[in-house]
Amino acid sequence: MFELILTALAIPFVCGLAVLAIRRPAAAAWFNLCGSLLTSATLFWIVRRFVAQGPFHQGGFMLDALNVLFLLIVAVLSLTAALYSIPYMAHELRDGHLTEKMIPRYFFLFQFFVLTMILTLVMENLGLLWVAVEATTLVSALLVAFSLNRSSLEAAWKYVMVCSVGIAMALLGTILLYYAQVQAGYTDVQPLGWFALSENAFLFNPALVKLSAMFILIGYGTKAGLAPMHTWLPDAHSQAPTPVSGLLSGALLSVAMYAIARNLAVFNLLPTVGQVAGQLLVGFGLLSIGIAVPFLLLQHDIKRLLAYSSVENIGLIALGFGLGSPLGLYGALLHLINNAIGKSALFYVSGELVQQYRTKQILRIRGVIRVMPVFGGMLLALVLAVSGLPPFGTFLSKLTIIQAMFHDGWWQGLLALLLLAAVFAGMIYYTLKLLFGEPPANLKPLRLSPAVTVAVGLSLLLLVSTGFYVPVWLDALLRAAVVIVGGGGR
Amino acid sequence: MNVLTVLLLFTAFLITRVSNLRLAIQILIVQSLGVAVACVWSGLGSELMHTYIAAMLTVVIKAGMIPYALFRVAARLRNETENKPILSPNQTSLAAALLLAVAYGLVDQALPGLGRDALAGALSGFLIGLLIMITRRQAVLQIVGLIMMENGIYLLGLSMTRGLPLIIELGVFFDVMVAVIVLGILTFRLKLSFMTTDTTVLQKLKG
Repeated sequence: MFELILTALAIPFVCGLAVLAIRRPAAAAWFNLCGSLLTSATLFWIVRRFVAQGPFHQGGFMLDALNVLFLLIVAVLSLTAALYSIPYMAHELRDGHLTEKMIPRYFFLFQFFVLTMILTLVMENLGLLWVAVEATTLVSALLVAFSLNRSSLEAAWKYVMVCSVGIAMALLGTILLYYAQVQAGYTDVQPLGWFALSENAFLFNPALVKLSAMFILIGYGTKAGLAPMHTWLPDAHSQAPTPVSGLLSGALLSVAMYAIARNLAVFNLLPTVGQVAGQLLVGFGLLSIGIAVPFLLLQHDIKRLLAYSSVENIGLIALGFGLGSPLGLYGALLHLINNAIGKSALFYVSGELVQQYRTKQILRIRGVIRVMPVFGGMLLALVLAVSGLPPFGTFLSKLTIIQAMFHDGWWQGLLALLLLAAVFAGMIYYTLKLLFGEPPANLKPLRLSPAVTVAVGLSLLLLVSTGFYVPVWLDALLRAAVVIVGGGGR
Repeated sequence: MNVLTVLLLFTAFLITRVSNLRLAIQILIVQSLGVAVACVWSGLGSELMHTYIAAMLTVVIKAGMIPYALFRVAARLRNETENKPILSPNQTSLAAALLLAVAYGLVDQALPGLGRDALAGALSGFLIGLLIMITRRQAVLQIVGLIMMENGIYLLGLSMTRGLPLIIELGVFFDVMVAVIVLGILTFRLKLSFMTTDTTVLQKLKG
């Protein structure tokens, strides 16, 4: 198992460096895909071995039900993003937005971005987890700024500044947690190690851990794009190259939520702290959904529309975590998976539209269903999926979270439902504007590249299948993860 | 230790008054050297090797490589000074004084029983760094504010637990260094694209 984890980290590292030596853009893109295929295969193998053998811990790495779920997300999304990068980059080159020299650098950053995300997930030590999360920010900032035009520089600057401050808060919280550990007399155990914490945290000074929890939740909450710390998110997610937007919205936000979940698992060992942390998360969650509504109802930019939808979905997931009940946690974890797959695919679709119509303005993109019937159908299906309609998996997960909210108190559930209805109104209104109407006269019906169809089709297939049936092994993983986050220790 | 706390606060207050980029970086070097001395100081009592390594890294990275990178960026930014900060130097100094009081209040509330002055000094260093980041428009000064925050956190860790375990410390140093490199690249690109590193020009993305 240890070797497998090392392999999963080594492949993106080696591929990232090797791709710099490839001059031809198309070759670099295919090489990148091969690298991502190998990484994803290794990750799936790790998941399979885990399902058969159970938890693993060695040499600073660990696997338990919680991080294996997130490895699954990274495995699927890095693969679809690598697939979509092939036609996307070729198109950008044809349009002259990028030069050939920039392409290898893109794939180098792509591989390292995936590397830092995997690293975040397998770390056993909460301090090193912090280090890896900060590393994801730095690599992805260069990807956000990749096209080096004015707006992407602006987005990247805001991204690094806001997230660095946020993540500095998380470091402060982590130091406070370490102090709580030292103060309780555990100096001989692994400092800030997950296993040491999950065994002893219930003996820590609750006041101190409470303080630490606030800093950590605000800090990683900034990275996860929870309101009111979400201000960087629409900029960064709309300005990045679209395959990266998909990764940022689907995978990186999930990884940030993983950092929250892992720390929450420690806080939940102390009931008073768990309560405060839960209330804070519920507050952030409701605020995130609420803040997204006006921006979703009045939006001109298609990628920003999707970015605000991410704020809303992450808010809903934070709600599920904050409720703390097994039902809420189960729904939140399932929704993380579903949302990651759906949102990334929706970004790929939007990227294709932006390239074909040469504009990000929603009002200028019309008649998609006439020009690209199959593609329009996939767009509609994905919007319905991301909004949480049956028969997609998101329906099941959103329903579970709402159900957990009604168990907690009817007014919260009602408020969340009303906000979700408003979100749906905004999403579907703009989608219908995109789909119907008269397409611009100069737009010829274009053939889609097979890579996009495969990437989006695969995502849709996964979403529909989780809508009907959660496989037994996945259900077992989810249940085990719920116990971990809920404060059940290992 | 008190002398070092005073030095940290003095440099922090000095930066609230600076509009010249190079001067701000020089003050940052002094502050980082102070942090390194504090690190050695805390290691003297015990026989912990790792505090000395951490002190050495502080000198090399925070007083050496980071200022070097910032000076290189600043060298390309002729005629760039902080012209109209969001809070004037006087207002910023006043706000910093308020933050110092807030820091003392917070430490008394939340962390009683530890070295009060050192903790409050470190916490106000963190808060003043944040203040600089928010109220300054020049990209380089914002980076300086970020490193000040980092210094404040480092000192907090030092006075609470004699610093983090070495492996985590190494990771944090590495991240800080890469962050400055990334921000340096972005600053340089801002100069190329916008002809200025005044971040007020960054207001196109809205809604």
